[in-house]
Amino acid sequence: MDAEIQSKPRRLSWPAGLGGRSEKTVAQLLIAPGQLLMVFIVLFPAAVAIYLAFTDFQPTSGYQWFDAYKGWHWFGNYWEALKSGGVFWTGGGFWMAVFRTVIVTVLGVGVELTLGFALALLFLKTFPGRSVLTVVFLLPMMVVPAVTGFIFYMLFQTQGPVNGALTFFLHDVLHATGHIHVPWLSDPNIALFAIILADIWQWTPLMFLILLSGLVSLPEDQLNAARILGARFSDQFRYLVLPMMWPIILIAVIIRAIETFKIFDSAWLLTTGGPGDATTTISVFLYRQTIAETTRWGFGSAVAILVLIMVSLLALRAIRPIEAAQEESIGELVGADVEAESVSLEQAIEAEARL
Amino acid sequence: MSTRGLKPAGRAIAILVIGAFFLFPLYWLVTMSFKPQDEWSPVGGKIYWLPGKWTVGNFTQALGISTPNTQFFSAAPVDASKPIVHSLLAAGGGTLLALLVGVFAAYGIARFRAGGKLLPFQILQLRMFPPIVVIIPLLIMFTYLHLVDTYWGLILVYGAVTFPFVVWLMRSFFAEVPREISEAAIVDGCTQWGAFFKAILPQVRGGLAATALFVFILNWSDFLIALVLTADKVVTAPVFLNSLQSAGAGQEYGPQAALGLVLVLPPAIFGLLIQRYLVRGLTFGAIKR
Repeated sequence: MDAEIQSKPRRLSWPAGLGGRSEKTVAQLLIAPGQLLMVFIVLFPAAVAIYLAFTDFQPTSGYQWFDAYKGWHWFGNYWEALKSGGVFWTGGGFWMAVFRTVIVTVLGVGVELTLGFALALLFLKTFPGRSVLTVVFLLPMMVVPAVTGFIFYMLFQTQGPVNGALTFFLHDVLHATGHIHVPWLSDPNIALFAIILADIWQWTPLMFLILLSGLVSLPEDQLNAARILGARFSDQFRYLVLPMMWPIILIAVIIRAIETFKIFDSAWLLTTGGPGDATTTISVFLYRQTIAETTRWGFGSAVAILVLIMVSLLALRAIRPIEAAQEESIGELVGADVEAESVSLEQAIEAEARL
Repeated sequence: MSTRGLKPAGRAIAILVIGAFFLFPLYWLVTMSFKPQDEWSPVGGKIYWLPGKWTVGNFTQALGISTPNTQFFSAAPVDASKPIVHSLLAAGGGTLLALLVGVFAAYGIARFRAGGKLLPFQILQLRMFPPIVVIIPLLIMFTYLHLVDTYWGLILVYGAVTFPFVVWLMRSFFAEVPREISEAAIVDGCTQWGAFFKAILPQVRGGLAATALFVFILNWSDFLIALVLTADKVVTAPVFLNSLQSAGAGQEYGPQAALGLVLVLPPAIFGLLIQRYLVRGLTFGAIKR
């Protein structure tokens, strides 16, 4: 056997460096194209943005971008963004865009988590039609986000089906008079909720799937023990399910928050940032400033860098749980703190028994 | 876990109510695509919960099979056949590029810990930034390289933004293949290269297909990148949908809905095919079902 292996000549193949001798070389070659692509999409754009951010460059300035120093502005762009005020909730400017993005993210992800968790609990036990229904709940997240924007644009028309349904229920059920004409998309005070609703519709299913896969892999033993000990559902939930699910909840929330923070497609098709600035989130703000309405590439670059800094600071904290989870199976994720938590459940049950 | 708190009937009602909420927007899209023009958004405020007269005119118009006849007195025919083809080419090309780059990187990371601990971290971080942040510099760069409004330009960016997903998905598939397989292949006289193609890659066929479909869905769904980096030679379907929306020449709800439905079909079908890997992909490989 040994002799046979040794007698086989090492085949030469292209490229010569991949002869199988040095694993390090092979590894380096394998990731080289990926690194090249990252340089292309990150490093070069970052360098250009940092440079342009100090200038008042516009594509209509009459000179090339590398001559942008002709319009040197120092920190003028940053200052303009940072000192921006604006009417609360509906105003223009950088900070209001940040504020609205945070609102969309917090409200959207909050509702998605609650609704997704409730659904996951409902789907935990098998029932006839469960797998078919799971597919139904899967569908929204497969919809192209731009199409989501268009669908909700139709739904939220003043004479559209949402108001139609509201009229139907309030008119016939509550005996209110007249038709309901909520101007969903043209009232600056409520237009943002249309965008949040569209996001909730599209992404609750992902929350649901993540949480469901966590729930089904919860260790049965502890839960059975708790049930036999007579723990109430609310106690089981609070002392067992929630702590064990915590790593998964954290990951789900982080990932959804990252994605919602970037929101653009559905928002743009729904309202194009309007009325006025009422639905201008960060991505929409940048697009309007640099392409759609004005072409202030210098200012846009400065805003982009501010966003980059903010996201990086958040990312430092947000990345760890995801990275750790990539190495673990879902069972390991939910099983991590079981010992400690079942003790606290026992204490809770005892405490209740004493009462 | 016990859901004793809820009677089966209560649970059924809860599921049905939430299910109706999640189905209705899709129901509206589908029915709208079969409605004739006078039912799209009637002036009187009447709402057609079901199409009064079913028609496939919206589809034939959106797919460029027929131009609108007198029944459709729209200003310009809504022909999305070219944008759909453009979308297919750009998304397909971007997927190929992402796979080409990502599969090797994933193997390097999974098998040789290439790039140390930092590379996976950087790749993850890449996904956290809103794409609009790099779009202006990219636009500048593309202007110089004459890549604005071309397939190649779009494919390049699609490949770059989706290859991280390939890395996460494929990394976990590669990790499941025992190291001994490639070692055995090398002992049998294969090079590292040969071992990868002949021994490892066939082991992850299924994962590779799922990854390809997943990345295709992502690229097919893109709107922002195409909106900025293309003008009129290459128009992807979502950008075309948007241009109809903002045209202001009256809402072409019917054909738009038909186009929307056509746009939704491939991701819906592919998504159901790769159900198992959907969550893994969308959570950057953190949740493995």
